[in-house]
Amino acid sequence: MVSLISPLILAFALFVIGMVGVLVRRNVLIMLMSVELMLNGANVALITFSRLWGDLDGQVFSMFVIAVAAAEAAVGLAIVVSIFRTRASADVDQLTTLRD
Amino acid sequence: MLSMLQAAPPPNPGTWAGSEPPPGVIARILGAVWDAMVTTTPADYVFSAFAILAIVAAIATVTRKNPVVAAVCLVASFFCVAICYVMLSATFLAALQVLVYAGAMMVLFVFVVMVLDVDDKGAADQPRTRSSRRGLYYGFAAVVIGILTWIFWGTVTRQFSTTGREVPSDFGTAQSVGRELFGPALFAFEAVSLLLLAAVIGAVVVARSRRERLKEALALGFSEDDMHIAGLGAADTEVARGDLTDEQVRRPHPAMDFGQPSAGGHEGGN
Repeated sequence: MVSLISPLILAFALFVIGMVGVLVRRNVLIMLMSVELMLNGANVALITFSRLWGDLDGQVFSMFVIAVAAAEAAVGLAIVVSIFRTRASADVDQLTTLRD
Repeated sequence: MLSMLQAAPPPNPGTWAGSEPPPGVIARILGAVWDAMVTTTPADYVFSAFAILAIVAAIATVTRKNPVVAAVCLVASFFCVAICYVMLSATFLAALQVLVYAGAMMVLFVFVVMVLDVDDKGAADQPRTRSSRRGLYYGFAAVVIGILTWIFWGTVTRQFSTTGREVPSDFGTAQSVGRELFGPALFAFEAVSLLLLAAVIGAVVVARSRRERLKEALALGFSEDDMHIAGLGAADTEVARGDLTDEQVRRPHPAMDFGQPSAGGHEGGN
């Protein structure tokens, strides 16, 4: 049995680290990874509250979050690949257009 | 929440020594930490160890310059979080975390990083192009983190020094989660499968190269006037006439040509 303070601290830490990564880093690949970290932090919070109430809805919702994260990673990486074809740069400050 | 702010400054600083400290924010935080310490179980130690590892790996992910190293750190973080899921009696989610996050998605990340040939040189040496924005980003991050911390301590110090309700022994197994998933959440489940299908198709469409689109357009019998349907400009039709060498096909559109990329074409970095 785990005291539910520490999972909440973990969720908070993962979310904040991911958010700092999205805001501060310029490499679009690292930014995508930071988004995954934020989603993971949200998952930890969902599972913690699912455990708190003894209700499985939180875990089911967390599964949907994982599915959405996978879809987001696939589309995001496809966009990165198509940008790299013409730009050869991962710096988001220099990305202003999606056309090639 | 408001009382936390109001209790923060001591009413009379002179009476601090020798008297009880006012029950402010610090006292509540210390009380919560003390409660957590006296109720620590072996499971808490396991959880804390892997939670700390997960946080360290997450910090490494955000700070590494090389995206490959960052991806490996992210895998480590996901594995540690999966163990934390087990400690929260979410065994099925733990397996899913390892399979989907640490398995599929990280392979995708590492694969893309390798294909793109990104390294830690390049943009890291250049100054940020619009450095005035940087303060804005940090300021926004600070404000959001402050709000989150405030809400977080407000909730943590009040009610969460508990291990939660008693749950049945099959809580969080594949069977019980599956019953929930294919019962009340069936519609959402089907919607998610549609979303994944759309994402796969979208990813394939977006990631196609100019050469592939050109080939498809020619195979479909587009005339040179109709090339814009395939997202190809007039400059591509001369490419379409001749042989499709790599250099011709990869050349940027004239209107979008921002000059030569840096030496070697590598721009990873910060």
